[in-house]
Amino acid sequence: MVDDANSARGFFPFLKRGGWVGLALPAWVLAYLAVHPLAQWVAFRLLRLSPTSHLGEAVAFFCYDVPKVLLLLTLVVFVVTFLQTFVSPAKVRKALSRHHAGFGNALASLLGIVTPFCSCSAIPLFIGFLRAGVPLGVTFSFLVSAPMVNEVALGLLLVLFGWKIALLYAGTGVTIAFASGLILGRWKLETHLEAWVQEALNAPALAEAEEAPPSLTQRIAAAVQGVKDIVGKVWPYILAGIGVGALIHGYVPQSLMAGLLGKHAWYSVPLAVLIGVPLYSNAAGVVPIVEALLGKGAALGSSLAFMMAVIGLSLPELVILRRVLKPRLIAAFVAVVATGILLVGYLFNAIL
Amino acid sequence: MLIEVFGPGCAKCETLLKHARHAVELAGIEAQVVKVSDYLTMAQRGVLSTPALAVNGQLKSQGKVLSSTEILEWLKG
Repeated sequence: MVDDANSARGFFPFLKRGGWVGLALPAWVLAYLAVHPLAQWVAFRLLRLSPTSHLGEAVAFFCYDVPKVLLLLTLVVFVVTFLQTFVSPAKVRKALSRHHAGFGNALASLLGIVTPFCSCSAIPLFIGFLRAGVPLGVTFSFLVSAPMVNEVALGLLLVLFGWKIALLYAGTGVTIAFASGLILGRWKLETHLEAWVQEALNAPALAEAEEAPPSLTQRIAAAVQGVKDIVGKVWPYILAGIGVGALIHGYVPQSLMAGLLGKHAWYSVPLAVLIGVPLYSNAAGVVPIVEALLGKGAALGSSLAFMMAVIGLSLPELVILRRVLKPRLIAAFVAVVATGILLVGYLFNAIL
Repeated sequence: MLIEVFGPGCAKCETLLKHARHAVELAGIEAQVVKVSDYLTMAQRGVLSTPALAVNGQLKSQGKVLSSTEILEWLKG
């Protein structure tokens, strides 16, 4: 951005350089305030549904939740992607290569929350970490934490349910990632990496990357782009998630939910995990389902377990990891993480 | 000039490849745009997150779908 200093005069350049984002905030607040009255009007006036009927309840929930969650998502993604421009996998790797098991696992689990991560990057990241001397167990801590403690889901939980549940989710996710990596690291499973990975670890480096830190304008542009990409990609998941949520909200009787996923049913946590693993959804799409589950009397532990199973242990992710891990190692990985999720579910059903 | 796009073949990498080709067109230069989807090469070249882009063997960006104009900056220099 060479011409930044010259064009910084007047209002129009200000808008061009990202200032319009500041003006978007009041518009966002107005839209957010209008969501509830509008939803009521659409469901009960425009469609003339009765507020006490199943259909009325489901439609009102849907019309209220869709714009609300999309607005909140936009704000959360903007803030998160802006902050993420300060953290890159390269920086994380540098930080982790200096630490060993224990502290390294803790650091990896924490950094997993904020690092931008896409499951198609899992393999280059995995190999890159090991090449830089990050221990296998520490790398696993990161690989568990990065998808499971999803920063967008965390932001949505924060704005929908408050800081306690958000903290609970982040805290337990980080703990599972920490413990899983520590255990897997203890088992010395390096020989269970696929042969080509061993080869890739020893291959000489051809060139190392260096990147210039972005300017503020570039950070804002990245955040705007993040909103376009992420909101553009996840809105169908959100619609589907809220649709399922609305059906649960309007039609599933409270007693059924309390029986299946309530805190007194011993099988509720494993059931939640079993349903969750084969389901593939974007993290942001799970949150509305969890919202409806909790509203209908599902226990918090079971709901958290469900959410973590959906986003932390997804089949597509395992298919990708299978390319670098031999079957025994991938089985150990799934077993350790699933056990962690189960423990978290039982723990919170027991104490809350 | 050689432009390499690194990525296993997800939607993001394809978009970056398209943008890189477009940037070459805009610059009106002679340049070869290739896609690298081999993990071994990515490891050797220091690619940590995809999609990544290298110009003349030098890695310029990682984990970002750059716009054509952003890529154009490097082609002009």
